[in-house]
Amino acid sequence: MNQLFFFVFLLSSILTLATAPETFLPALLSAANKSATVCVAILASYSVWMGLIQLWEDSGLASAFSKRLRPLATKLFKTENSEALTAVCMNLSVNLLGISGAATPYGIKAATLLDKTENAEYSSAMLFVLNATSLQLIPTSIIAIRTSLGSSAPTDIILPTLIATVFSTAIGAVLVRLFIPPKTAKSAQKIPFLKKIRGAGTQ
Amino acid sequence: MNVFFTMIVPLIFILSFLYAKRKNVKIYDSFTSGVKNAFPLVLSIYPYLAAVSMLSVLFSESGLQDGLGTLLSPALRFLGIPEEIFPLLFVKPLSGSGATAVLSDILAKYGTDSYIARCACVAYGSSETIFYISAVYFASVKRKRLSLAAAIAVFSFLCSSVLACFLCTVL
Repeated sequence: MNQLFFFVFLLSSILTLATAPETFLPALLSAANKSATVCVAILASYSVWMGLIQLWEDSGLASAFSKRLRPLATKLFKTENSEALTAVCMNLSVNLLGISGAATPYGIKAATLLDKTENAEYSSAMLFVLNATSLQLIPTSIIAIRTSLGSSAPTDIILPTLIATVFSTAIGAVLVRLFIPPKTAKSAQKIPFLKKIRGAGTQ
Repeated sequence: MNVFFTMIVPLIFILSFLYAKRKNVKIYDSFTSGVKNAFPLVLSIYPYLAAVSMLSVLFSESGLQDGLGTLLSPALRFLGIPEEIFPLLFVKPLSGSGATAVLSDILAKYGTDSYIARCACVAYGSSETIFYISAVYFASVKRKRLSLAAAIAVFSFLCSSVLACFLCTVL
């Protein structure tokens, strides 16, 4: 990220210097302004949802609910850490419902917890890709835009969107598995163990 | 259908409150302690969000984005993506509000029920704002491989956009 930030920033700055240097500072300021506005908006959204999330945690609803998704998440994230898995499951299921205001706090919590597990490099990449490729079941915001612009069938994009998003999520997950493979800690432990048994057998 | 969507959120709140009450949770205390965590969380995200959005504005202002667009457009055309939705594909990973604006433009320009508009909607819906998500995740995790993961996410978005345009001709 440091490399990427440096090169893209430098290249863009040089190009701006060559073409329209007067737009440089206004552009940066407008971006900072926009991110400040976004922060206020997400603070509002997190306030609502994190209050509710705390209720889910304290009433045991979160851990009860995520138990159902637990086996899948264990396989996908290659970890046994129960606290991290609960956060992962809640992040994924809230994403499915399309409540991104609640999904992001859970995502951050999951990322922080996964960072301490044995396969952190793999599992945080997996969490990021699953979140970035979108998991939403029903694209409510697009339906709202279509309805407001007078579409005759605002919901007819649900099925293709669902197929496309499942496809992109699946590709993302497979690529993470291929390029950032999880350390197979267990099989590595198993092999010397097996050797020991075999060695004992031949003696 | 729309009535159902608007009912989901209030229903989630009502059921959660009732469940918490039954479990004897001190609801006001619990709710406020959750809200308290929102502030530090946003503070921890802010620097990354600001830096990434400065970068993305500079990227588009400098003409680098358009340059990259013209460079990539033959490839996209080859993949069967209509030219009219290229701007959306370039904005979507960088900016959520930008992408919404471009999507509305496309819908207004070509008609909400046209092939192009439907392609745009499906492509828009198949991915999140990848750079926003990465800013948020980079804030909490310092992992080298996350850059690679971001590249994977962009590639998946491209694949799903191709599929989106194909699906809209069939479905």
